[in-house]
Amino acid sequence: MFTANTTLMLVATFLPLLGALVLLLVPKDQRRVFEIGSLIIMIASLLLSLPFWFGYDRASDAVQWAGSWTWIPALGARFAVGMDGISLLLWLLTTFIGPIAIACSFKSIEERHKEYYLWMLVLQTAMLGVFITQDMFLFYLFWEVMLVPMYFLIGIWGGPQKLYAAIKLFLYTLAGSVLMLVAILAIYFLQHKTTGGYDFSLASFQAMAPIIAQQSKSYQHLMALAFFIGFAIKVPMFPFHTWLPDAHVQAPTAGSVILAAILLKMGTYGFVRFLLPILPGATKDLMPWFLTLALIGIIYGALVAMIQKDMKKLVAYSSVSHLGLCMLGLFALNPYGIKGGLFQMLNHGISTSGLFLAVGIVYERRHTRMIADFGGLSKTMPVYATIFMIMTMSSIGLPLLNGFIGEGVILMGAFQAFPWAAMVATLGIILGAAYMLWMFQRVMFGPITAVNEKMEDLNLREILYFAPLVAAAFWIGLNPTPIMDVMDAPVRKLVTQVNPDFYKAESLAAKQAAAAKLGMRGMSAPAHHGEAPAAHGAAPAGHEAEPAGHGAPAPEAHGHGGGK
Amino acid sequence: MTGFAQGLLNALQRDTHLIMPQLFLMVVATLMLWPGDLFFNRAEKHKWAPITLVILAVTAFLVTRVPEGEGFSRMFRMDGLTRGFQLLCILASAGTVLLSVRLLDSLKQQTVEYYALILFSLSGMLFLCGASDLISVYFSIELMAICIYILVAYLRDRATSVEAGMKYFLLGAFSSGILVYGISLIYGAAGGVTTNLADLNQLLALTPTTSNLLVYSGVLMVLVGMAFKVAAVPFHMWSPDAYEGAPTPITAFMATAPKAAALAAFLRVFGAGFHGVSSDWVMPLTYIAGASMILGNVAAVKQESMKRLLAYSSIAHVGYMLLGVLSGDPKAGAQAVWLYMLIYIVMNTGAFAVVIYLQGKGEGERIEDFRGLGKKRPVLAFAMMVFLLSLAGIPPLVGFFGKFYLFKLAIEQGFVTLTVIALLTSAVSAYYYLGVVKEMYFKEPEGEAIPMGAAQAFIVGVACVLVLVGTAFGPWLLKWAGEIFWI
Repeated sequence: MFTANTTLMLVATFLPLLGALVLLLVPKDQRRVFEIGSLIIMIASLLLSLPFWFGYDRASDAVQWAGSWTWIPALGARFAVGMDGISLLLWLLTTFIGPIAIACSFKSIEERHKEYYLWMLVLQTAMLGVFITQDMFLFYLFWEVMLVPMYFLIGIWGGPQKLYAAIKLFLYTLAGSVLMLVAILAIYFLQHKTTGGYDFSLASFQAMAPIIAQQSKSYQHLMALAFFIGFAIKVPMFPFHTWLPDAHVQAPTAGSVILAAILLKMGTYGFVRFLLPILPGATKDLMPWFLTLALIGIIYGALVAMIQKDMKKLVAYSSVSHLGLCMLGLFALNPYGIKGGLFQMLNHGISTSGLFLAVGIVYERRHTRMIADFGGLSKTMPVYATIFMIMTMSSIGLPLLNGFIGEGVILMGAFQAFPWAAMVATLGIILGAAYMLWMFQRVMFGPITAVNEKMEDLNLREILYFAPLVAAAFWIGLNPTPIMDVMDAPVRKLVTQVNPDFYKAESLAAKQAAAAKLGMRGMSAPAHHGEAPAAHGAAPAGHEAEPAGHGAPAPEAHGHGGGK
Repeated sequence: MTGFAQGLLNALQRDTHLIMPQLFLMVVATLMLWPGDLFFNRAEKHKWAPITLVILAVTAFLVTRVPEGEGFSRMFRMDGLTRGFQLLCILASAGTVLLSVRLLDSLKQQTVEYYALILFSLSGMLFLCGASDLISVYFSIELMAICIYILVAYLRDRATSVEAGMKYFLLGAFSSGILVYGISLIYGAAGGVTTNLADLNQLLALTPTTSNLLVYSGVLMVLVGMAFKVAAVPFHMWSPDAYEGAPTPITAFMATAPKAAALAAFLRVFGAGFHGVSSDWVMPLTYIAGASMILGNVAAVKQESMKRLLAYSSIAHVGYMLLGVLSGDPKAGAQAVWLYMLIYIVMNTGAFAVVIYLQGKGEGERIEDFRGLGKKRPVLAFAMMVFLLSLAGIPPLVGFFGKFYLFKLAIEQGFVTLTVIALLTSAVSAYYYLGVVKEMYFKEPEGEAIPMGAAQAFIVGVACVLVLVGTAFGPWLLKWAGEIFWI
């Protein structure tokens, strides 16, 4: 009954919305019903999403569990869904974070419970929808719908500056997405001109890449910029990040958690899913600019985080820095970089949620988030201090924890493509360790004040919602292979779409390595670490026969790769 | 002489069926004034509202029955465009009547004339939708507008209402003068033989280069006259004042029905009549459309009065719809404008219903009157939020669908810069629409909620459901829009 299939995927996605409709009928003074009810709904959605992890065919790069229904034939818009490994991971991250976000709100939300939990459930469906859609029209729908619940979550249950933060979030993202809409429409009509039909499907948009590549440079660059700005605002990349600190600081804890764990990932997901495969040429042309912004984000975010006095703001700016690192990985346009970027998106989702939850704990108890107000908490709150430490370590990339793997893989990819950029990024990671540890030290150690002495350690509910995050951090850190495997085929497909030269160069390098092995037994140089300069694609061995099996498909044939 | 009379009689016999709905409206509305008015005493005047609704339903039925064709010396033409926009006008009028009942009751201002004037004005709109000659365009506009001047000043013991009526009248008369002058220039330029739009389209293309200036100024003046009627920037100055002063149901009326009719005329005059000389008007109209979007949306941000906010937002929406008029493919343009207008009527009427509800206790004029509505009347506030977000074009609400279809067309026709302006300004519009949402949900309520009239509740409920689920029924909407064609 619970095998992974399209129906189950839709059920898991729309269950929160259905649950919200049922809860709508409950009278609004039934606080417990909303809390427990929405928690049950979120957990149910999580359980329903688990079979997909096991049922995913890791060898295939196709969109799996695809389903497509006629919707608006005149526009070519279909209700098309399905997931590949990249969507699957983020989709699972969303179902995973959902119950945690609900569970952490029980105490901190003190008014208007009904509305709060209903908006949370609606938001969950909108976010899950973004990751399963395979149609641009439907994608845009989900993408925009998300904003409304978030606006209310911040605007009603937020901090003192909530109105400003809520409207800023809304307008920033809206402005970005309307630009994206123009680009979507422009490509849609270009497609109409070339094929004669109207089609919004993602596969057909990706198949447009060769045709777009024949358009004028300025056309390509404008399209790429429109997509870039739309997604960069969401990520957020410097200099479009200014909404983020406001939104994070003002949002209730659960809002921050969802914002950090999932909403920001929408931007990076957009880059992976749309900008890179649809406009590879323009992306490469503009790469110096994109790269510069990503690097500025890494360093600037870290430096600004260092001087923050508010813990939440510090974590918010650390997000700017970490997401810059993700973007650096994606922009490397080679398998390591992209895998690392995607992997780091998951890690950031886990560790930053953990940090926001941790900040939320002390805020609930003391109603302040200023670092200066705390100190010595490890004495009275040992469990809390341990969890906080794990999350901090995960965030700064300590070995054995998840962050280490992600950062490592990103840097491997970045070194292959842009060695100097990887060096700058390393500096950002060092700064990251500095500000996180400094905050930990100021909050947890040192003399304790009388007020802080009375603070209670975590209760059972709080431990329970931290537990999955801690478990995930260790599990991913100790055993990253399953997740890497899920990404493997889709990333390979993406790299052939974006950077077809890479695999040509790599197969040459592999041959050289094999030859070297024959010559000098025992010296097994890792194939990727050969010179193989992916970005330059220098001297791809023109007539080398493509190896079978994992060989890169010829670049011309990739168009309909995922169409199925 | 007898030959002429005989010809006239023949023409009437042949063509009368084309204008059956209008004739029906005029006759019935006249009968309502006398002797109809004698049947109800002062306390029973509100019964005219349901009667008017029945009349509107019959008119709508007649409109669907009228066969396609052209008549009255090719002054009036019944085709898909006419029918589609006529139905929109009737829909908007029905909404207005439903909105009016309770408000007029509470003001003790129920009269038969109010409803009769709506019907007379509607008959003018129905003519305007099908007017295929510059002369019939002009007299239909006048018939429609004169009734609305009176309706705007309907609350004659209120200074604002009278002032609004006066302003609207003066500027309306002024713009009519410009329109007529433009028509006369074009008549002269085309050789002084015809004012028929289809003929003009051919004649204007053949005019000698010496009369280029004549054609250009004529087209421009007609453009200005029409832009006044739809309140496009920079000819919009009358509209915020008129909207604010008019009784609120009439504000809702002005924002929808006459605009639908005037846009139909706009589409026909410029799409059919001046299509050949499009180089003369595309550039000015581009600026008018762009300016309407920018100014409408930016000026709305600062408003404190809800009616002024909706007035400026309607200027912006007209700016969007002018994108459809600009379309090089008039048929596709007409379809997109029709679809947008249909959606706009639904969401705008819904929003006005909520404003009128709040006016029931003397509020609703100011945006801060919405404060705490989310707590006092959660369902109503939710509906208002749906209308506002839909006006802002947030998916999946149906307002997004209309905008999407319109902007898609504009990009297809190559108006990329204008579309980017449209999209960015619609992001600006989210700011002031959300400002109202903010008042409803983020502020604490004051005072008690008042009960809501059945008619208003009906409008709010129906409109809210339509706006919520409309996008899912996109195929039907597009199919209807596909019926908007020319013969």
